[in-house]
Amino acid sequence: MHDFQVWLVKAIYRHSPVRDLMHTAWAWPIAESLHFIGLCLLIGAIGSFDLRLLGVGKRIPIAAMHRFIPWGLLGFAINISTGAMFLLTEPEQYIFNPSFHLKVTFLMTAGLNASMFYLTSYRRVFVAPASLEAPTRAKVIAAISLSAWLVVIVAGRLLTFFRPAQCAGEQTAILLTCVPW
Amino acid sequence: MNIDPFLVWLESTALSQWVIGSPSLLAFPGILTLHAIGMGFAAGISAVLDLRILGAAPGVQLSEIRRFLPILWLGFWVNAVSGVLLLIGYPTKALTNPVFYLKLSLIATAMVLLVKISRLAFDDTVLSGAEIDPDRLRRMRPLAIASLVCWAGAVTAGRLLAYTYTRLTAAG
Repeated sequence: MHDFQVWLVKAIYRHSPVRDLMHTAWAWPIAESLHFIGLCLLIGAIGSFDLRLLGVGKRIPIAAMHRFIPWGLLGFAINISTGAMFLLTEPEQYIFNPSFHLKVTFLMTAGLNASMFYLTSYRRVFVAPASLEAPTRAKVIAAISLSAWLVVIVAGRLLTFFRPAQCAGEQTAILLTCVPW
Repeated sequence: MNIDPFLVWLESTALSQWVIGSPSLLAFPGILTLHAIGMGFAAGISAVLDLRILGAAPGVQLSEIRRFLPILWLGFWVNAVSGVLLLIGYPTKALTNPVFYLKLSLIATAMVLLVKISRLAFDDTVLSGAEIDPDRLRRMRPLAIASLVCWAGAVTAGRLLAYTYTRLTAAG
């Protein structure tokens, strides 16, 4: 993985299309603000849907509550775009950052978990009468979703406290967590 | 009014020095993290309520969104406490920055709007099961738009605090 990480950082440095923009005075702070607004949309819409599956607001039909999900996806799209802008501007600050590795792991967990919902529970949940309990499987998926997104926020917020230092000595971990130059 | 002596005193307290000086991840990094999570639930659920008023998810009965309000308020109080701790950590940084007062004003306005919206959306006639009358819903729309604008502004102002301060500590 070390070679891949180094290749990725170098490739981004060679091709980054947004670095000049992001190095203007206010681009980075504005992108960060959008990233936080996207977080609110995502937690608001997807978090509320998870809470509904877990039993909050049981009189709301689950299918009706699901109509908020596109707003959560809008937040997610904002955050993938702004997140990519950070990554493409300062790649070594992320690719070698253990908190970023944690964040990406739990982003993928949240993504896989959401696909599990649509593969296993979507139909059952949607034909259920308005006030019915979500099936246990859907509740487990909702709990995993909420937890995974919370870990994504924690790891994202902690990025700045795990900035990679320059490597010293031989690195044996699977992922490089220091800058090799 | 010169508040520097107060700032010097506050920064000398054990709590202030723990917040910014402790190597523990539970100190400054943990408080910042809680502040981000509380923001997600407070501003996020507020936004869901506003979006419902503006026509999103029409199958969700508006009054039922009150079930999510305790979580919104929990997020708000987590952020009031974590915000005070961050303020105790860096009082000069915040109190000498006009953007900090802008942020507080926007949050105060958002909370007043939330209370107004709650009164209209969750009152007794609505809770007795009657459909909300379209005229009342129409009157709530400007409040919902203002709420979304205030939250977006508060979040942006909060993020810009890291870039707009002129003094980090009373000494510096």
